[in-house]
Amino acid sequence: METTKKTARFFSKPLMGQTIKSNWALCLAILLVMILLGTVMNYAMSMMTTEKTDVDVTEYQESFYTYLGALATYDTMTQQELSYKDFAAGNHDAAYEAAFEILNTQADMDLSIEGFHSAIEGLSQSGISLDKYVEQFEYVYALKQSEGVFNKEELTASGMLTITLDMMGVSSDIVEKMSEMNPASMMNQMYYTAMGLLPIFLLIVILANSLIADQVDRGSMAYVLSTPTKRSAVAITQMVFMLVVPLILIGIVGATRIGTSFLFFDEVNVAGMIALFIGMYILVEAVCGLCYMGSCLFSQSKKSMAFGGGLAVWFFLASMIGMFGSENMVNTGMGVSELSIFNNLTLVGLYDVDTLSTIGTANVDTSFVWKLLVLAAIAVVSYTVGAVRFSKKDLPL
Amino acid sequence: MMADVVIKTSGLTKDYGNGRGIFDIDIEVHKGEVFGFVGTNGSGKTTTIRNMMGFIKPDSGTSVVNGLDSWRQSADIMKNVSYVPGEIAFPALKTGTEFLKTQAKYLGVTDFGYMNHVIELLQLDPTAHLKRMSKGMKQKTAIVAALMGEKEILVLDEPTTGLDPLMREAFLQLVREEKQKGHTVFMSSHIFEEIEAVCDRVAMIKDGHIIDTTSLYDLRHPTVKNFIVEFEQAAQKQHFIQNTAFSAESADINSCTVRCKTSQLDAFFHSLKDYPITNLKEVHCSLQQQFMSAYKKELIQNGNN
Repeated sequence: METTKKTARFFSKPLMGQTIKSNWALCLAILLVMILLGTVMNYAMSMMTTEKTDVDVTEYQESFYTYLGALATYDTMTQQELSYKDFAAGNHDAAYEAAFEILNTQADMDLSIEGFHSAIEGLSQSGISLDKYVEQFEYVYALKQSEGVFNKEELTASGMLTITLDMMGVSSDIVEKMSEMNPASMMNQMYYTAMGLLPIFLLIVILANSLIADQVDRGSMAYVLSTPTKRSAVAITQMVFMLVVPLILIGIVGATRIGTSFLFFDEVNVAGMIALFIGMYILVEAVCGLCYMGSCLFSQSKKSMAFGGGLAVWFFLASMIGMFGSENMVNTGMGVSELSIFNNLTLVGLYDVDTLSTIGTANVDTSFVWKLLVLAAIAVVSYTVGAVRFSKKDLPL
Repeated sequence: MMADVVIKTSGLTKDYGNGRGIFDIDIEVHKGEVFGFVGTNGSGKTTTIRNMMGFIKPDSGTSVVNGLDSWRQSADIMKNVSYVPGEIAFPALKTGTEFLKTQAKYLGVTDFGYMNHVIELLQLDPTAHLKRMSKGMKQKTAIVAALMGEKEILVLDEPTTGLDPLMREAFLQLVREEKQKGHTVFMSSHIFEEIEAVCDRVAMIKDGHIIDTTSLYDLRHPTVKNFIVEFEQAAQKQHFIQNTAFSAESADINSCTVRCKTSQLDAFFHSLKDYPITNLKEVHCSLQQQFMSAYKKELIQNGNN
């Protein structure tokens, strides 16, 4: 029988089938882990944002305190017991109306029941219990117009707090910054540059090794290369697999994350999230390319694994350490800005989550573009070097 | 180059340093012959075969299969070549059947008649789990995978390792079938008996050098035969040695060895009829002896250097 099979030069279908058959279970497992991680992360972030809103309540607070102050003056003046609690119960509206009228005429103020209500309503947007505001007011009122015995300076509640914190060895700056920090941005940073990457890094390290180096090392590549299949066909087929699998995985994970975002949040920046996941894909491909290159360069599985795995672990660790140098972490007092050096020692540092997430918002910061181009270039170069080397080297088969 | 030479290596050299590797390997395998390649472990058999298959690039010299350069046109060569690797390691697939099916796709094989014939002959159960296969089963599976393409050239690297004697015989039967079809077989081995059983010609390799290439026809049809003749008494032996026209040497108390050309066999037997002979034995010159003598010769030559 004369076999008329043509030589496979650029792509080998049977090899692709074989690669899929031997790796689909692992890919599926990693995909599930990634989906779970993304969804839980999304849920956590949605919880976080409902706990603390960014609504500015300063104006309402001022107005609320004015009312409380007025009531306090009125109480001392007329020996009555009007209070926020009593007002909120709504049983003595008439008494308050009378009180406000007197105050209005006496002190030339513009107080009304409606005004008090709207101040209360506005302040309740902060999510902080109004009782706490009332309690804080007690201090403010008690210290009102008192001055220091020695320095004759005005004593305030916030001044006392600052001094107390200083005595406890906590920088009051930190406390202030902590209230300013953006937990959503921190969680994003954590997900996109560390936790979300770990499973897929794991996958590509294993895949890259098993697609080339492991088969050469064990000798099973002989069954492919002793058929009319060129080495370039093997290299390209495996490369295609390494390009497509992360694309599918990140695509599905991204779609799930965007989908669940619509469940958890009212507003979703779809363009921004798509940009983040595209960026993640490019980053993963850069690492993937390096692992593939290692797999092609080394004929021993352990060496290829050490190269690819070592790089991936380093990128991941450096990115983790670098995160402790990020502004958010420094602000919470959990990081030191010097650690951000590590962001320059890892490819993950070229994946600029903060600027990428500005896509879809009013002011887009395009500094992510060159960084992603560098990543893409790394991917292209290492894939090419790997494929060419594999086609030309000695194989112990 | 002769028209019927299908595999030809000339000056093939791959130096791995420290005296390891292969040096100046010249092999010519003719169409339709079964060519044996014997040598001890680590003598360079596999390295030579890897060069032929285009898996490694020679430092110098060339290997040509079917007129195509092994290194540069490896994939084209594979259209006509099947290979059984020396080290059996299968891809990460589940069962033998799955593996054979994948292999058929690579080869473009659609007619499984011959494959089933080989499976039957080797009594292989391909449905077994690849990871749980014994060494022999793996070897059989590898042989089936290679033979199913029915290629004109078979390159087998120690194909019988792990096979039991019965299966080895079945395998040798397969090789004979291939030969009958006019296919060329190149097989390496360190088991002389099987080489002797099927091969037409044999190359012997030692430390990366070809030390001898012999035709087994010469071995099977020697021009000179050796006999051991045992006499009843030592005196009779003495008498025979002194009076015979053939070259005879005393061996034991009662016996001697005699060298005799095949054309003179008749005369030799006639000369024996006057003596009381208790035993007559032909000393068969086996491939192994041939190898050992070539091996020793090589050692002595090297020792003189």
